[in-house]
Amino acid sequence: MPALWLLLILILLGVIGYVVGRARAVRSAGGNVSDLHSLPNHYGSFVALSVVVPALTVMLIWLLAQPLVLNAIVSTDFPVVAIPENASVDLVMSDVRRIAEGLDKAEAQGVLDQSPLNTIADDAGALRGMLAGVGVALGADVTPEVLSASQSYRALAASGQGMMTGLVLLVALVGFAYAIRRTHKEFRARNVVEAGIKTLLIFAASIAILTTIGIVLSLIFNTLHFFRLHPASDFFQGLVWAPSFGGGSELGVLPLLWGTLYISLIALIVAVPVGLFAAIYLSEYATPGVRAFAKPLIEILAGIPTIVYGLFALLTVGPMLMSVFGRDGLGWMQAGTAVITAGLVMGIMLIPFVSSLSDDIINAVPQSLRDGSYALGSTQSETIRQVVLPAALPGIVGAILLAASRAIGETMIVVLGAGAAARLDLNPFEAMTTVTAKIVSQLTGDADFASPEALVAFALGMTLFVITLALNVVALMIVRTYREQYE
Amino acid sequence: MYDMNKQETAVTQKEIKFSARDVQVYYGDAHAIKDVSVELEDKTVTAFIGPSGCGKSSFLRCLNRMNDTIDICRVEGDIKLDGEDIYHKAVDPVQLRARVGMVFQKPNPFPKSIYDNVAYGPRIHGLARTKADLDEIVEKALRRGAIWDEVKDRLSAPGTGLSGGQQQRLCIARAVATEPEVLLMDEPCSALDPIATAQVEELIDELRKSYSLVIVTHSMQQAARVSQKTAFFHLGSLVEYGETAQIFTNPVDERTESYITGRIG
Ligand SMILES: Nc1ncnc2c1ncn2[C@@H]1O[C@H](COP(=O)(O)OP(=O)(O)O)[C@@H](O)[C@H]1O
Ligand SMILES: [Mg+2]
Repeated sequence: MPALWLLLILILLGVIGYVVGRARAVRSAGGNVSDLHSLPNHYGSFVALSVVVPALTVMLIWLLAQPLVLNAIVSTDFPVVAIPENASVDLVMSDVRRIAEGLDKAEAQGVLDQSPLNTIADDAGALRGMLAGVGVALGADVTPEVLSASQSYRALAASGQGMMTGLVLLVALVGFAYAIRRTHKEFRARNVVEAGIKTLLIFAASIAILTTIGIVLSLIFNTLHFFRLHPASDFFQGLVWAPSFGGGSELGVLPLLWGTLYISLIALIVAVPVGLFAAIYLSEYATPGVRAFAKPLIEILAGIPTIVYGLFALLTVGPMLMSVFGRDGLGWMQAGTAVITAGLVMGIMLIPFVSSLSDDIINAVPQSLRDGSYALGSTQSETIRQVVLPAALPGIVGAILLAASRAIGETMIVVLGAGAAARLDLNPFEAMTTVTAKIVSQLTGDADFASPEALVAFALGMTLFVITLALNVVALMIVRTYREQYE
Repeated sequence: MYDMNKQETAVTQKEIKFSARDVQVYYGDAHAIKDVSVELEDKTVTAFIGPSGCGKSSFLRCLNRMNDTIDICRVEGDIKLDGEDIYHKAVDPVQLRARVGMVFQKPNPFPKSIYDNVAYGPRIHGLARTKADLDEIVEKALRRGAIWDEVKDRLSAPGTGLSGGQQQRLCIARAVATEPEVLLMDEPCSALDPIATAQVEELIDELRKSYSLVIVTHSMQQAARVSQKTAFFHLGSLVEYGETAQIFTNPVDERTESYITGRIG
């Protein structure tokens, strides 16, 4: 791993720079530290930062850019005739990269046998077998053109690696020399270090922001791409969801949205009263002992992975409901997977979410309001109903909206508990499905990712994103105004 | 439980309203009030003074059993209101607190309208039969709280939107709306500016005609201005209790003298 070694060398250089810079600054002040403009540590940090930061930046850019550049060079050299009829340059290039990677691995493991490389024309299968031996499975035998392209890819990559190492070390050394030259007792190292740290933090923040923007943009562009292949009117107004990869699909989002909202509604009907009452009990009635024991216990529910809830829905709650409402009971239910099953289990999942948010919010209601109410001769339940809950209401509404946005985005429970039929129906004992479950089913299996049937996943994702974003924004706005009320 | 005749009962001689004997207050193991015995008169303002942490608030909260809301707090001894033991098993603290109102150090209006703040007590105690009754009770309470003129045009505005002094007078109005017999005030002016303080003090003097008042204060001048009786607490004990004029001019105990002359506290 040369990149890792390079990183270690940079760090080492940084440490050396720190020590040398610090010592030089102290020496420039004749050993009298109080003569320095800044603390000795600032001088050390200044040198260390000057060594590491520019070099790391160069390294990062190089690592990001190298594959792109290599791809461009190798693919322009690739003979057009050698591209199979039903494939594109991109596909061939991904083969080239896989083979190059496989050869690297084979070499690293010491199993690289030069013979099949030379006799490729006679024995195409031998190379494929060897690569499979190091864990790189190929879809087809290797053609001579692809092999030579991957060999030149490897050569270029190796020389690129060398150039990068040289350049990065050069930059580090230049930084070192520059920083050491400037290190003097008059130099304002503190200000430079502070500015440097600020820049680093801004950089981290911008990565977070840029990825978000990138994800949203990719959602938007793919959604637009989908709408070029499929009429938007069918997506937004169609009442039928019937994808067929042969073409002629009907991709109406309404049945899916209906399923999502219906299941979420049932989940909230379960979670809000239970969660809220649990929160009221915990924050207003429970003794500290009970609270210390019960609160973590409820919060364990929040740590259960949702797939476990899904199993619980499929294997426990579904059959249980069937025994009451199914053929042997009231006869309302045809199968264990239904809206009610998924809704109930999702409600259970949301209970700790609602209760711990509400608990925090109820606890934030100042004790002085409770005292004021008690002092007027009201009972505990009057105080809670008429003073504490009204004061906490905006925050609780915010908590419920946040819970709703989780319910809408929930996937595993509905995949396992709600069934797969997209249906516009009011009967909670019927199977229905949701936006999230359909995103999963559209992208699993042998889908062609360029077809509208697969791209619809982006449009569905975009729909979900817009809904949950709106819910979150409203919820946060409400919670924030509530917070300000008591500050 | 609500006594409509109280205006008639206490017209002439000052009666004893509260009588406390050997009261002890503990917070867990900490002994906050030690052997306090005192008799508080009706239609009188009694001031509790003393250095911070000496137990003024703790003792005050014994009088309406607000200490019951603190888990670790334990009260012993004997406290009688109009001759009845308020810590007797048969006494409901909720009803007691309707008779003994309280105003807190920091104004604490509910996040409701001004009207609903004042109507809160009368509503939960069912003091009004009709909307008109309630309107009347609210207006009367706001007038007694000396804040009616300032808020009469905006009764439906939130109580939390008033200034600090107005909020405190609203809280006083809220407390008097349930027609208590005693009003306890724990440093009611400590969060107020001098003008608001003067208004509240004027109000206290006015309320003395109908109630027995107990006021905790850190300001010696305030105690001298508004009270007729003064109790000086020190380290959890009641050191001296008597006529305000006598306490301030001629204290018996040397600790009292050091405190009012500013040497301890
Ligand atoms: N809720 C409480 N929990 C524990 N200790 C308390 C509590 N309230 C008051 N105390 C203690 O009781 C003593 C008297 O306090 P307090 O009655 O508030 O004094 P004051 O009102 O005269 O300043 C103090 O030592 C204080 O620390
Ligand atoms: Mg106090």
